[in-house]
Amino acid sequence: MNIIKIAIRNLLRFKRRTALTSFLIVLGVALVIVFGGVGNSFKSEVIDSLTGTSLGDIQLHKKGYVSSIDNLPLDRNIPPQAVKMIETTLDANPEIAAYSERIRFGAMISNFQTTTNIRFTGVSPEREIATLPKLLERVQAGGGTTVDTFVPPGSIAIPQNLAAGLGLKVGSSVVVVATNKDGSVNGLTLRVGGITENISGPSGRDGFMNIEDARSLLQIDDGQITEVAIRLKNFDKLDSISSRLAQGFGAMPSAGGGSKGSMQGLETGAPKNIGAPPSPSGANGNPSGLEVHTWAQLSPFASVAQIITLLLIIVRIVLAFIVLTSILNVMIMSLYERIGEIGTIASMGTTPSKILRLFLTEGLALGVLGAIAGSIVGTAILLVIGAMRSRITFGNMHVVLTPQIPTAEIGLAIVMVVVISALASLQPAIKASRMEPVDALRHV
Amino acid sequence: MYVVELEKVTKVYSSGDLAVPALRGINLSLESGAFISFVGPSGSGKTTLLNLMGCLDKATEGGVRIAGEDVGRLDRRQSAQFRGANLGFIFQNFNLLPVLTVYENVEYPLIMIRKEPAAQRRKKVREILERVGILDQEGKFPAQLSGGQKQRVAVARALVTDPKIVLADEPTANLDHATAFAVIALMHEMREKLHTTFIFATHDQKVVSKADIIYSIEDGLIAGTQTNGAFAAAERA
Repeated sequence: MNIIKIAIRNLLRFKRRTALTSFLIVLGVALVIVFGGVGNSFKSEVIDSLTGTSLGDIQLHKKGYVSSIDNLPLDRNIPPQAVKMIETTLDANPEIAAYSERIRFGAMISNFQTTTNIRFTGVSPEREIATLPKLLERVQAGGGTTVDTFVPPGSIAIPQNLAAGLGLKVGSSVVVVATNKDGSVNGLTLRVGGITENISGPSGRDGFMNIEDARSLLQIDDGQITEVAIRLKNFDKLDSISSRLAQGFGAMPSAGGGSKGSMQGLETGAPKNIGAPPSPSGANGNPSGLEVHTWAQLSPFASVAQIITLLLIIVRIVLAFIVLTSILNVMIMSLYERIGEIGTIASMGTTPSKILRLFLTEGLALGVLGAIAGSIVGTAILLVIGAMRSRITFGNMHVVLTPQIPTAEIGLAIVMVVVISALASLQPAIKASRMEPVDALRHV
Repeated sequence: MYVVELEKVTKVYSSGDLAVPALRGINLSLESGAFISFVGPSGSGKTTLLNLMGCLDKATEGGVRIAGEDVGRLDRRQSAQFRGANLGFIFQNFNLLPVLTVYENVEYPLIMIRKEPAAQRRKKVREILERVGILDQEGKFPAQLSGGQKQRVAVARALVTDPKIVLADEPTANLDHATAFAVIALMHEMREKLHTTFIFATHDQKVVSKADIIYSIEDGLIAGTQTNGAFAAAERA
């Protein structure tokens, strides 16, 4: 017989009350674990899809480009000297898994009868697929589904809605017309080599072409590019690597000047830059420096991810209130029902600190048992959800929920319940320990 | 040797402006190993006196020495430790812990207060349960016992720590006549065997008749003292 045994027996004394309180705690803990598991799974799947099909983990742009990205300006390209320095830096960085240099521009596409606008990304297929490993999963069967067949020179990949609208199929010939930086209009006849899902949304108009074709169309002959998409070996190090890259580029010496831009004043692109008007240097077509953006700074889904995180915090707070109120209620009731017993054990010589421990142990036992049972229930529910492989459509993304067992969340929930149980039991326990035995005995 | 010494002890209960004296300057010395009874009408101060001797309450004025210790100077923790080391209690309502078995109720003070080793504990508990004649009920919970059995368990619990003094407040009030006699006989027998001082506050003539010394309390003062059974005989007369 020890304090824990007595505490458990006292809890079992009022079975219905203990069962009801335990049920609430189990429910709360299970809710936190299930919500944490599903929410984090959804978040990571969507982020994986975004970074694996279009954005990459990090992007580099010339300063001022992101703030005017809707216009796809060609006068804010990264100059060739800077491209070489970027390549040298990224090649030397062991934490970079792959990177892809891109040229992005707006164009018109025609099936010889109908013409419409489109945004193209000129890429080197091998590097693009290495950087966006899920991209090929979004290319529909029929062409362009392998590294070798995805936008080789003379071939483009276009989104399905646009292909349907223009009546284009794999193999169809099209004319792509674009205005280059100097204002002259050029055209190329190309073949549709692949049709993609609408990667940038239901009304997506983002197509791909080979970077050599893009250079030819835009008459870029000096190696300049619009952006660099980067994939990291370890996504969890995103913020630190992003920060180090920004510092690294900032430490680089000037790579040249004039209208091609220089490497002076390289700085990290912060969210505050998004949507801001072009800087004075950008306005005159002579921007300087590079911006480093993480995917979160480029995608509105970052806000959704934050909302999911916020909801998880709210669920945790609800759990805290459930535990606090139910255990406090049980312990206060237990205290008033057992005043006589407190007097008895005090008269026998039980010290106030032991009486305090006895009541604290009761509250803690209730919380710990509830937390363990809740963790088991929550984990079981997550395993069932995982086995069901539920498919959720989010925008143009199809996400299969495969929730991992959130060990950190389970640990946090258990610690939280234990701490709150202790806090909830503390007031009744202190009250019990401070009772005068002679007063308590009168309640018998 | 005196096991209890009270010197000009006063106890006043205050409620707002109202002060009610329960004990008014009591002087008392009780010898070790005696079977002592305090009698008197309700409200005379018997229970208050027992509470002071049990270190459950503090005197308003005066000195209280129990087993040589000035208990008025002890803080709450020290008082608890002193009670655990020197005193045993028997209550009118038995006050057994309902979640513990008979064995565990008796074992409780040895674990929670004395922290005695398991083997020694087991020996002591079984021995005292046997002495009070309730060893065969050791696995039962209090709710499964009769009033007499409960009080036997309470006696065993009070005696298992070998206390210097056992304080019993109306120990037979909730027992039928035959059971009350049996419990008194048991306590008397225990006193003979263990030489423990038994102090009662009671109305019960059965207890009084067994006492070595009977103190009569009236209005917070000791109104009379008798020895052996003469007091009961005098009362009846």
